[in-house]
Amino acid sequence: MYPKNNFFNVKAVLIILIAAFLFVFNVFPMGYLIFRSFVGENGFTLSAFSRIYTYPLNWNALRNTLITAGLSMIFGIMIAFPLAWLVGRTDLYGRKFFRTLFVMTYMVPPYVGAMAWLRLLNPRVGTLNVFIANLFGLSENPFNIYTIGGLVWVLTTFYYPYAFITISRAMEKMDPSLEEASKISGASPLKTVMTVTFPVMFPSIVAAALLVFISAASCYGIPSIIGAPGQIDTVTTRIIDYVYVGSPEGLTDATVLAVSLMVIANIVLYISTFICGKKQYITVSGKSTRPNIVELGKWRIPITILVGIFALIVVIIPFVTVAMTSFTKNLGKPLSLANFTTRYWNILLTRKGILDTAKNSLIAASVAATAGIIISCVMAWLLTRTRAKGRHIPDFLITLGSGTPSVVIALALIMTMSGRFGINIYNTLTIMIVAYMVKYLLMGMRTVVSAMSQIHPSLEEAALISGAEWQRSFKDVTLPLIAPSVVAGWFLIFMPSFYELTMSTLLYSTDTKTIGYELFTYQTYHSQQTASAIATGILLLIIIVNWILNKLTKGEFSI
Amino acid sequence: MSSITLTNITKYYGNVEVIKKFSGVFEDKQFVTLLGPSGCGKTTLLRMIAGFEKPTTGEIKIDDVTVSSANNFVPPNLRNIGMVFQSYAVWPHMNVFENVEYPLKIQKIPRSERNKRVSEILKAVDLSQYAERMPNELSGGQQQRVALGRALVSNPRVLLLDEPLSNLDAKLRETMRFEIKEMQKKFGITVVYVTHDQTEAMAMSDKVIVFNNGIVQQIDSPVNIYSNPANQFVADFIGRINFLDADIFEGEIKFSGGQVMKYSGDKRGKAVIAVRPENIKIRTDEGILCGKLSQAYYLGDVNDCRIDVDGTEVRVIREGRTYGEIEIGANVWLDFDTYHVFEK
Amino acid sequence: MKKLLVLFMVLGLFVMGGAANAADKPKVTIYTSMYEDVIEAMTAVLHEKFPNYDVEFFYGGTGTLQAKIAAERDTKKLGCDMLMVADPSYSLELKEAGLLHPYITKEAENISLEYDAEGYWYPVRTLNMILAFNPEKFSKEDLPKSFKDFAYDPSMKGMISMSNPLTSGTALVAISALKDKYGYEYFDKLAENKVMVESGSVALTKLETGECKVIMILEESVLKKREEEDSELEVIYPTDGVICVPSPIMTIKDEWSAHGNSKICEELTDWFLSEEGQKYIVKGWMHSVRKNPPAVPYDSIATDTIVKNAMPVSWENCLKERTELRTNFEERVKK
Repeated sequence: MYPKNNFFNVKAVLIILIAAFLFVFNVFPMGYLIFRSFVGENGFTLSAFSRIYTYPLNWNALRNTLITAGLSMIFGIMIAFPLAWLVGRTDLYGRKFFRTLFVMTYMVPPYVGAMAWLRLLNPRVGTLNVFIANLFGLSENPFNIYTIGGLVWVLTTFYYPYAFITISRAMEKMDPSLEEASKISGASPLKTVMTVTFPVMFPSIVAAALLVFISAASCYGIPSIIGAPGQIDTVTTRIIDYVYVGSPEGLTDATVLAVSLMVIANIVLYISTFICGKKQYITVSGKSTRPNIVELGKWRIPITILVGIFALIVVIIPFVTVAMTSFTKNLGKPLSLANFTTRYWNILLTRKGILDTAKNSLIAASVAATAGIIISCVMAWLLTRTRAKGRHIPDFLITLGSGTPSVVIALALIMTMSGRFGINIYNTLTIMIVAYMVKYLLMGMRTVVSAMSQIHPSLEEAALISGAEWQRSFKDVTLPLIAPSVVAGWFLIFMPSFYELTMSTLLYSTDTKTIGYELFTYQTYHSQQTASAIATGILLLIIIVNWILNKLTKGEFSI
Repeated sequence: MSSITLTNITKYYGNVEVIKKFSGVFEDKQFVTLLGPSGCGKTTLLRMIAGFEKPTTGEIKIDDVTVSSANNFVPPNLRNIGMVFQSYAVWPHMNVFENVEYPLKIQKIPRSERNKRVSEILKAVDLSQYAERMPNELSGGQQQRVALGRALVSNPRVLLLDEPLSNLDAKLRETMRFEIKEMQKKFGITVVYVTHDQTEAMAMSDKVIVFNNGIVQQIDSPVNIYSNPANQFVADFIGRINFLDADIFEGEIKFSGGQVMKYSGDKRGKAVIAVRPENIKIRTDEGILCGKLSQAYYLGDVNDCRIDVDGTEVRVIREGRTYGEIEIGANVWLDFDTYHVFEK
Repeated sequence: MKKLLVLFMVLGLFVMGGAANAADKPKVTIYTSMYEDVIEAMTAVLHEKFPNYDVEFFYGGTGTLQAKIAAERDTKKLGCDMLMVADPSYSLELKEAGLLHPYITKEAENISLEYDAEGYWYPVRTLNMILAFNPEKFSKEDLPKSFKDFAYDPSMKGMISMSNPLTSGTALVAISALKDKYGYEYFDKLAENKVMVESGSVALTKLETGECKVIMILEESVLKKREEEDSELEVIYPTDGVICVPSPIMTIKDEWSAHGNSKICEELTDWFLSEEGQKYIVKGWMHSVRKNPPAVPYDSIATDTIVKNAMPVSWENCLKERTELRTNFEERVKK
């Protein structure tokens, strides 16, 4: 009838396939990168190491990276946790709107934000700076974006959504009776948050912190735009600089410096898994209970206003600035009818270069997101529905990939995937797809795993007992129930891949330039207005897709 | 026309043995209850019959077809079994009709026939007017009936119920208990029912299997389980009972407090004497055991008394009003109608 | 099983990779640092002039393209057939490395600037490093007139900007020339004046908004803004000499090139150096390399005047000292 081992072999095959993919495109390249940093053309040597790590500029960069990423992480969590709680657990006005707004930030290229903040907060004529100085009658502009503080500010405003998404998801999963129990015991809502919600959420908060730290530490766009004028180097800008030196030596130097970034990332990863490993006590109840809503009472309006102001400053003002820039002829003058032009939008819609790159990114990001979400679904199934041996291996490798700084992934892929070891995918879209998957798979997987773990296994068993095979049960029961999360997960992989910059900068070739790189090129070399038009275009696209998705599925599916 | 035969079933999770060599036959149209405290292995056994778990060793047959053995395993979807889950497992994305219809769709039964059959079932479980409702618009009892309807719709050979009533309130539980039993009679189906609630087991079953720690304690009719418990565990688990430590010698039982009772059975040595509260009479004159009345409550239909027998508390529940006249602290005599002796 | 199948299909996709699109016309890929707008116009013209060839430009900053070529040399095949990038020093390097295809063009006699006698490279456009300011925000009298003052005038502190010599070829030439003229002290002065090191577009925006008083930039980007965006930004031709960068055109040897169409590249070289080709260079706001140039870009001054008063540049030094220059710049300016 049914060969008894078939079912179990499928699991093993899947695990091996996914693990093999990650091994070939993640573990092996990283290993080789480390190997190469020690072993030059003439055998084992530490000369590159001593050259790179005796250079004070690199130490500065390392220090800057640690400070900016560390602070962004702390501030990001400090922003994301209350926001996630307010949006997910209270009767805040406009919760859904705020949620979409904050998640939307994740969908926007971070360097676009850098462009906006550059215009808003530059020390001499920054629009917001001047406005605030006039408002309070200050003799000097209060802010200077070209500082470590400025860098931290922009990094924080663009990476806190990573934490927000991670923490909100965990909050949705938390059994509301835990909070109720605390309230019954006489704790105030605030006390409940501090003594129950926060500790229970701790593992997710650590995971979120890690994500923010790694993203901020491996970001290239923001420090290269914000940091350059103030001569603030980070490890990523140094690495890219070394690559741009254009000599084989430069590549080795970049590699050696990349190793330090990798070591930092891995230490952080290790610490976080160590902290979280023993403490997975998020309770998921089998029945889908609706999280209880905390009534903010007299605080409802003031807090809503506060959140609104935050959204205005962090999301709306920068986006509007970028959108306005795209219509401004002369950036030295305010946007007026005389200074208004649609030229840059024409360029956006007609220039072959931009359309080609958009197509490349669309293909690469779609394939990466689709393949990624399939792997995510399989992993979710393996992790939540089976006790298959070794199912945690791919899980670990996926986490490792996301924890690796983008620059390092790209460098490692260039060195190993250009034919030296029998695989030559350099200069193809494939290498981009692989890089995107290695880097962004985690967000998709976490989303699907969390959705799947909320579905009580008996729902699937009921389908089996009704006569459906497990594939059919997956299709009829599991898939419809996790579909909203699958769509959301798809976008969580698709969006960052679509506008990816750091890896694309190193991996692109004649036929595979991506929109992220193109946007960055326009921003830095050709025309900020065209870059702004591209960025606004991407943003509009997201809003439209989100709106359509929402309409078509009656609110069930959205980003 | 469906019997279930289990032969030498064992189940290990890693090194933990959760089912210890179980054999048994559940006959056609029988209502069999697997009873035991939580963690005793009863749900595991049920899930092995369903096919969600594979026995580590042993064989399961439904009628004459081997569904699970060392070299043969029929997956759950091919076993033609109905099952009701503890959490109902009603699919939230389908309405009542679609939920119930699903097994028929899998069997590729034509639409018209499906509609007819689903309507019949919905009528049987009294949900006809709710066909278009989504599960989250239903009460717990209604969801339970959807699950029951879905389990019955394809005329399964066997119906498995995994603590189906544990999430319902007390009153609804009693109604549903009755309804399930009715349904079983109506459909003439073999039912395997898992519960930790002994009253449920007693009320519904033709046969009760008591489990503890993966080991079967007793397989018998409800009446026998109650009146002839096979061991101390069963006696304790089913109903209320008093235990008195004793040593048995030729012709007499010597209780731990020193009092002695005549005995004609053949058990010897250290033992426990078990006697149900309703099988004890209180007397003011001569009896078997002497004790002091420590508490007495008059409950209308019965008296509930506690007697201290040399430091062991013995509970007596008996009809009649006469005990009310005895003062608390007075010495009384106890007489046993029946009792059980379990050797240690 | 369907899901598995999809998985396999996707994995299969990876292995196959980006399949090359079948080219029916012989193809030539040119790496260039010319602006995208110029590329756009140039592509259209070439499409018309050479309908039988598929000529494609690939934009990148000089540093970026050099990095790319360095990586590609490792794989023994470049992604391009021609280069229109950087300064003559890079041509010297590539010639020495034996990557270039020699060709004596009939246009050689018309070229006013130095070119390779063996035909390995010819200048094809002149890029001028100048200073620029915004008359709407600051008056010209208060601003430096020379590269020297740009770095030495303390009143400019924190309000000057230049490109990064690590990524920009012309910036590297500029710091090489400035080092030769003023010594490494010039870098220290730049640092003292807190120069912002960033790319052209960003710097221009800062000029427009008044964040910067004066910037060191290529003339073409200012001219382009004036013509296309009615910008008021103005060029200052420094009194210590414009830094002229005759940017070369080179053809990659067939065994190294992407498509092995060196004969077509020769035709293209002729065209780019011809009067007509140079007309499009000038249209792209760059100066012509021909004797008696057809015109000046937009409202620039005469090409000859610029070249005559240019700051001398030693291409040998530029090549030899590249790493040293970059390192010194980093250590002194970016510390």
